[in-house]
Amino acid sequence: MRLHQLVAGLFLVIAASVQAAPVAKSIPADSMGLSKTSVFDTPEPQVYQYKGEMAGQNKVLPRAYLNAPPQIPHDIADFLPITKDNNMCIACHTLPDQWGKVREPGTATPIPPSHYTDLRRDRNKVTDHLINARFNCNQCHVPQANTTPLVENTFGKRSR
Amino acid sequence: MTVSRRDFLKQSVMVSSAAATVGLPVGELAEAAVVNAETGWRWDRGVCRFCGVGCGIQIATEKGKIVATKADVDSPVNRGLNCIKGYFNGKIPYGKDRLTQPLLRMKNGKFDKQGDFVPVSWERAFEEMTAQFKRHYQELGPTGIGFFGSGQQTVQEGYAAVKLFKAGFRSNNIDPNARHCMASAVAGFMQTFGIDEPSGNYDDIELTDTMVLWGANMAEMHPVLFTRITDRKLNDDNVKLINLTTVSNMSSGIADVEIIFRPQTDLAIWNYIAREIVTRDAVNWDFVNKHCVFATGPTDIGYGMRGSDKYDYPAEKDVNGRELTMQLGDAEAIGQGKKSGATVAQNNRGTAGKHWLITFEDFKKGLEPYTLDFVAELAKGDAEESLDSFKAKLKLLADLYIEQSRKVVSFWTMGFNQHQRGTWVNEQAYMVHLLLGKQAMPGNGAFSLTGQPSACGTAREVGVFSHRLPADMVVDNPDHRTHSEALWKLPAKTLNPKIGSHFTKLLRDLEDGQVRWAWVQVCNPFQDTANANHWIKAAREKDNFIIVSDVYPGISTKVADLVLPSAIIFEKWGAYGNAERRTQMWREQVPPPGQARTDLWQIIEFSKRFKLKELWGEQKIPGLKEEGYADGKLPDVLTGSSYSPEASLYEVLFATPDNKQFKWPDAVSKGHDNQTATILGDHWFPEKALFEEYAGFGRGHAHDLANFDVYFQDDVRGLKWPVVNGRETHWRFNEEYDPYVKKGSGFDFYGSAFKSLPSGNLDGITNPAKTAFPGKAKIFFRPYAAPVEQPDGEYDMWLSTGRVLEHWHSGTMTRRVRELHFAVPAALIYMHPEDAKARGLKRQSVAWVESRRGKVKAVVETNGRNRPPKGLVYVPWFDEGVFINKVTLDATCPISKQTDFKKCAVKIYKA
Repeated sequence: MRLHQLVAGLFLVIAASVQAAPVAKSIPADSMGLSKTSVFDTPEPQVYQYKGEMAGQNKVLPRAYLNAPPQIPHDIADFLPITKDNNMCIACHTLPDQWGKVREPGTATPIPPSHYTDLRRDRNKVTDHLINARFNCNQCHVPQANTTPLVENTFGKRSR
Repeated sequence: MTVSRRDFLKQSVMVSSAAATVGLPVGELAEAAVVNAETGWRWDRGVCRFCGVGCGIQIATEKGKIVATKADVDSPVNRGLNCIKGYFNGKIPYGKDRLTQPLLRMKNGKFDKQGDFVPVSWERAFEEMTAQFKRHYQELGPTGIGFFGSGQQTVQEGYAAVKLFKAGFRSNNIDPNARHCMASAVAGFMQTFGIDEPSGNYDDIELTDTMVLWGANMAEMHPVLFTRITDRKLNDDNVKLINLTTVSNMSSGIADVEIIFRPQTDLAIWNYIAREIVTRDAVNWDFVNKHCVFATGPTDIGYGMRGSDKYDYPAEKDVNGRELTMQLGDAEAIGQGKKSGATVAQNNRGTAGKHWLITFEDFKKGLEPYTLDFVAELAKGDAEESLDSFKAKLKLLADLYIEQSRKVVSFWTMGFNQHQRGTWVNEQAYMVHLLLGKQAMPGNGAFSLTGQPSACGTAREVGVFSHRLPADMVVDNPDHRTHSEALWKLPAKTLNPKIGSHFTKLLRDLEDGQVRWAWVQVCNPFQDTANANHWIKAAREKDNFIIVSDVYPGISTKVADLVLPSAIIFEKWGAYGNAERRTQMWREQVPPPGQARTDLWQIIEFSKRFKLKELWGEQKIPGLKEEGYADGKLPDVLTGSSYSPEASLYEVLFATPDNKQFKWPDAVSKGHDNQTATILGDHWFPEKALFEEYAGFGRGHAHDLANFDVYFQDDVRGLKWPVVNGRETHWRFNEEYDPYVKKGSGFDFYGSAFKSLPSGNLDGITNPAKTAFPGKAKIFFRPYAAPVEQPDGEYDMWLSTGRVLEHWHSGTMTRRVRELHFAVPAALIYMHPEDAKARGLKRQSVAWVESRRGKVKAVVETNGRNRPPKGLVYVPWFDEGVFINKVTLDATCPISKQTDFKKCAVKIYKA
């Protein structure tokens, strides 16, 4: 108990000294946020393009975290819109015979078994078809533009 | 145990092959592999931070950080699916520019409105905030302060803010950004049913065979519900999906029919359907006679604008002048049975919501002008479509509604709610469903969807509105005030009977100096309110003090005087309520960074700085005229009460003896922390205590919530209120499902508001004697009304605004996630290629979008996900760099006071 208090006290002293050390720097409002200008200004818009002009010629993009939906490494403008009668994503990515195999360069990423499993009605069965709840591919999978982050994100930067 | 990435990938491949061969669920097997690989991870249940769908998620944390999330396969809402935003919940807390310390504008060590932000301690922040409060409150009274709340606040945060403002400060100037998003839905519910919120639930999607989207691009705005719609539609050929919209959008891809209509003519289309129901003798008279009455209201109700030109820019004066007198166009005159060109004084601006009973014969007379020819001519929104094609679609739409064996669900969101006649068009949806008897039953119903994660749970149910109290009660009803005062243990007449300023009016009040102290929590009002040039100037140039609690700097923090760093959703305990009445809760998962604190702690801690004697003496309320009150005054309620004048609001409102019975720590925490409780240090559990106190308002009043701990049980994934005897309610007003329905009635629209009315005809009240009709819903006749601003010679295009799938609201969270930012880096001007060509523009040109109120610059897109008809552009509002609300018009539905962000006039030209 006493040791605990002592440690806590010591921590407070250190914390206080760390806080007290730097002189409070002032921050102009215009330097804050995603547009580093005054709210009264009109920033110049940036024209952007999506990466990977041709499908099938691009490297798989890194996943954001374990089991995160993969991003699309190619431009999809020519494949949209997805309609009930025409889903061009499915045309290339329906490759159940590729499950579990190492992919050859130039082949599409197969739609995985999870997308053949009806989580609403029978989550224990991998069916032989794409579940229609997964039909709108671009609700989870998105292309990536040639641009830079507005702000760094420290997610996944482990301390260990 | 460490597993190399290579080993892990190998294992995953093996797992998926095994699953494919033996038919085991991949998710669970992969999960087992993950548990082995990541033994340090703790998984717990949460709710998605973003839209009103309310998807369940699972959150993995390790060493005080979120390391992964996944969709909750056990949540009935989303069954293991999220949308692209939902999958990135785990990254939103980790933008490098998180606000981690209070920032005060200062010069030479003192607060100065013209100073830069300087980091200060919480103590210093509260000191300035309190001093500024007292300065303005002493001079102006309770109407001189304001609070901008949110449909993204937790239930407990909203409740604490309401209690602090309404009970503590005796001010009704508290309103949520949900005013911009749900107010028309609320007014529609209250006027039609006498009680707020939908009768149905999301299972209606699997149970119906016809779905009609009215101004709801669900593929982008309610993506997981759209996966359910898509699943239903593609699994059964009999299922029909119709998408009514002013812009061809992503939802049209799955639809059988897309109907492109002219802005605001949805009012006429509904009346065409109703007219067809009547002329084809398809009214369900058994249902209507037993459960409905007919009603209407005035049409000269204005457009929710100021009605004074004192603050207008010169270019604004013409449109804003129509607030007082409007000249009727041809279609509007025909639709209202009036003379074209007539100038109509808007005499019912202050009484827009009044309504009266009419006969079915009058109702029928009102519908008479809405023939197929008239409506098709008026409503056809795409010049390239033939009139015959458009007529055929309208007829099909009516056929589908009317077909007796067909179940129909109508969904809508901002297309209806953000509408200069938003309340009317909500009521028209109920009109059609009630006439057909297709309401409040499985697979049948008009279903108002909500935009924000707790617009229902917090803003509406708690009543974080300038006119509301918890559980659908209102401040201008003496019985409701008395009931609330009893529950809150307040002296009689503590509560202020005069409705406060709504969200847009709070900003107008800042401009004209009526409000001089305002606190913003969990929203971005200076980016999200229309006609923003006025409000950012008012914030920076008037003598006022604006406090913004936020997790990241955005437009509102940039115009603030004091910035308070807040904890984000997973750094606090909370509850959200989604669009199907489902209340869901979560535990604190990780600590907030630096000195960031929960919004709830901020509210409660601030309350410690006030003694009753500063607030509960006599207070002036300009314009207050109410029976039992001296003109313009709230009475002294302290003298003679049992409270000590020296008691603090903390003891009286929050740390009450009852609330302190809920101790922290509590077994429900299962090892999770509670920063609010820990920093307050009084050993009570504010989130639990305040939830239970709040639930006291609704229990026994058809808003019953379960006990706090129930929501954390392993087998519970939220519960749809009313929760009675441990059972949730799937369909309200239906005897089979709703315990509040009178036995033997079949259906009982038991809401009690506005259930006794005078009678009249389409022109007005003819018999002021009131008739009561308990248990019945109203079928309103509401005519077509033209938008107050329409394209003309100079501003020749319609502008519609809204969200995109990949970003949430003003983008402060999602634009800090690399994958989402890279998916949609900036807001574009979606326009028709020929409109672009006519202006010397093409895809990827930079152009100005300019209205009477302001202008922005953005990149043109002619081949994108939104394909507007000629004459209309769509610009999303998430991008603070394309500050489109500088351009939009702050006209509102005069009944609901919700802004119409979907239509104003602009010109587009090359930059």
